[in-house]
Amino acid sequence: MYQTKYHKPASVDEAVAALSSAEDGKVLGGGQTLLPTMKQHLAAPTDLVDLRGIAGMDAISAADGVLTIGAGARHADVAASATVREAIPALACLAGGIGDPAVRSMGTIGGSVANNDPAADYPAAVLGLGATVVTNSREIAADDFFEGMFSTALGEDEIITAIKFPIPSSAGYTKFPNPASRYAMVGVFVAQTGGGARVAVTGAGQDGVFRAEMMENALSSSFEAGALDGATVDSRGMLSDIHGTAEYRAHLVSVMAKRAVDSAV
Amino acid sequence: MDLSGQYRIPADVATVWAALNNAEVLAQCIPGCEELEKDSDTEMTAKVALKIGPVKARFSGRVELQDLNPPYSYSIVGEGKGGVAGFAKGGADVTLTEDGAETVLDYTANAQVGGKLAQLGSRLVKSTSAKLADQFFDNFSKAVAG
Repeated sequence: MYQTKYHKPASVDEAVAALSSAEDGKVLGGGQTLLPTMKQHLAAPTDLVDLRGIAGMDAISAADGVLTIGAGARHADVAASATVREAIPALACLAGGIGDPAVRSMGTIGGSVANNDPAADYPAAVLGLGATVVTNSREIAADDFFEGMFSTALGEDEIITAIKFPIPSSAGYTKFPNPASRYAMVGVFVAQTGGGARVAVTGAGQDGVFRAEMMENALSSSFEAGALDGATVDSRGMLSDIHGTAEYRAHLVSVMAKRAVDSAV
Repeated sequence: MDLSGQYRIPADVATVWAALNNAEVLAQCIPGCEELEKDSDTEMTAKVALKIGPVKARFSGRVELQDLNPPYSYSIVGEGKGGVAGFAKGGADVTLTEDGAETVLDYTANAQVGGKLAQLGSRLVKSTSAKLADQFFDNFSKAVAG
């Protein structure tokens, strides 16, 4: 056994203070990755800073073409939110397909984005929509936020407070889930935005979520599945494991991208 | 699991060879290295902290240099225990080739991970190993060139 000190701050400032005074502190969102890791003794933080006592952290609102989701919003909240369903239906659909009901009832958007698991769903939406990650100290554009597998631009004692999604004219998300874990083997988020088409791929890349530029160019001229004929991703940067080879994943990216465009609303 | 790669380092073979045998340089370049002590010309003990996503494990182990063919090639083998997290062992064959004023470094490495780390992290072991190897040789190229 090891000892962990549990903190339940009532404000973001208190949370940051608790985190910075801890020797080896960790932020606890919904705990769907961190707690299993701790149970296995693969992590043993000295302090846990639970964000669930902070009022308003799970607020969801839409105004002036921007959908703002508090970092503490659980996947089930986002999936069921009338505001999200109206503003960006693809995002509600994505949230409703994460993991299983138990994970969706506990896991949070902030936790998922901060963890940046290379097979998580949310990073594809954040990057695919060109969202902005809001922290206690600054705002970070999605393009600058994800820095490779499990790494982000977040500082040591920085906490995500909300994600701001610009509302696209249409967007779609399709994934090929691993049948056992429901993690995306390949997940593709496509969006038609004011700045052209964006395509973000999760589950497939060795460095986590990435943008498929060739596909973005094809879709910017014509936002339909047929435009993606011949637009591919290079298999050299793809993950290869017992579930699928790099070539298989590269092929799946094209298939999922077309389905995502077909499903876009 | 096998990995390989090639790096071009802007220094001559003798300089690169000396750096490959210098515990201080190696300690600077091994990602997460907290301690590297030389026990003999070819043996070292190391403490390395690995942080990958939520997982944090501290390995302590031994590193040995074998099949030395100065200044062109050697093998580096190591084994580390990470407490409850499991163990890791592996080795790399490193070859240096002169190319004008520069040196081409080729490596082929194999690594095995066992214990809980392997059970839970199997989908990530290969890409993590590749990333760590890349970081090491990247740091090494910079250390030697700088």
